[in-house]
Amino acid sequence: MANITFASVNVGDAMPTFTSDPVTRTHMVRYAGASGDFNPLHHDETFVKMFGMPRVISHGMLIMGITGRAITEWIEDKSLRKFSVRFAGMTEPVDLHDFENTKQRATITVTGKVVEKFEEAGEKRIRCEIQAADGLGAVKINGSFVAALP
Amino acid sequence: MADKTKLGMEFPPYTFEVEKGKIAEFAMAISQKESKDQVKAIYWDSAAAKAAGYGDIVPSPTFQTCFALWGGGGGLMPILQTLNINLGRLLHGEEEYEYLAPIHPGDVMTGKSKIVSMYDKEKKDKPGKFMEFTVLETEIRNQRGELVIRSRSTLVER
Repeated sequence: MANITFASVNVGDAMPTFTSDPVTRTHMVRYAGASGDFNPLHHDETFVKMFGMPRVISHGMLIMGITGRAITEWIEDKSLRKFSVRFAGMTEPVDLHDFENTKQRATITVTGKVVEKFEEAGEKRIRCEIQAADGLGAVKINGSFVAALP
Repeated sequence: MADKTKLGMEFPPYTFEVEKGKIAEFAMAISQKESKDQVKAIYWDSAAAKAAGYGDIVPSPTFQTCFALWGGGGGLMPILQTLNINLGRLLHGEEEYEYLAPIHPGDVMTGKSKIVSMYDKEKKDKPGKFMEFTVLETEIRNQRGELVIRSRSTLVER
């Protein structure tokens, strides 16, 4: 991890772009177990059909988790002061029997940029806007985070 | 349909003991990895975390979502039942965290949630039909009573 300092960061700077693996149903089941979110919407295809949906959808919080990972690949975990997201779209997993045609909808790319540098609570802080979108350009998350930098 | 008379309601506190294995499991899940040595060592190796300037192992940024969901029969599910929210129509609208103090293995977290806002928004594509929004604010304290995380979750019924 690069050693990011307040002085080295400027408003307008981009955060390094992060790209996830295509989200599989197995990733979603692993996330269900880890988080305790067993809403059948995320693993049971017979349940989602009752609501007219063609297939299960990812937990929004898995996509927020992937976005958080993108942030903490750039800044240290202990620097994070605030992290907020608005969920803008659902994410469907890749279909393994049709991988090439469905991988883009399940691949999450996280981008971000520094929008503000300020002092608060005796710390030097930055605010960044972030976005998570799939490989087809559909936005999943719009959000922001605040980090305190040395 | 969310019960609007529940605005301002405070829910009974739930507790969650932070375990080292759960922190590693969660980090693996959000990192799409199958073993802990594929994720950052601060999520599973105490010595590595201390060498990196942390008090001990720390969880990844959205770990606190477990507190409500695994909070021993407490947490989110009883809240959804009390509100009479239909799980099949439930969407997650927004999520916000303020990080106020570190979390380490062995900490016992207590979360207290209350409903701070409930409102409707007309669907853009279906005039006369409404999406219902419920905003839940949660304060999470550790065993020393320190406020560790303040969170706001917006739940949407489509």
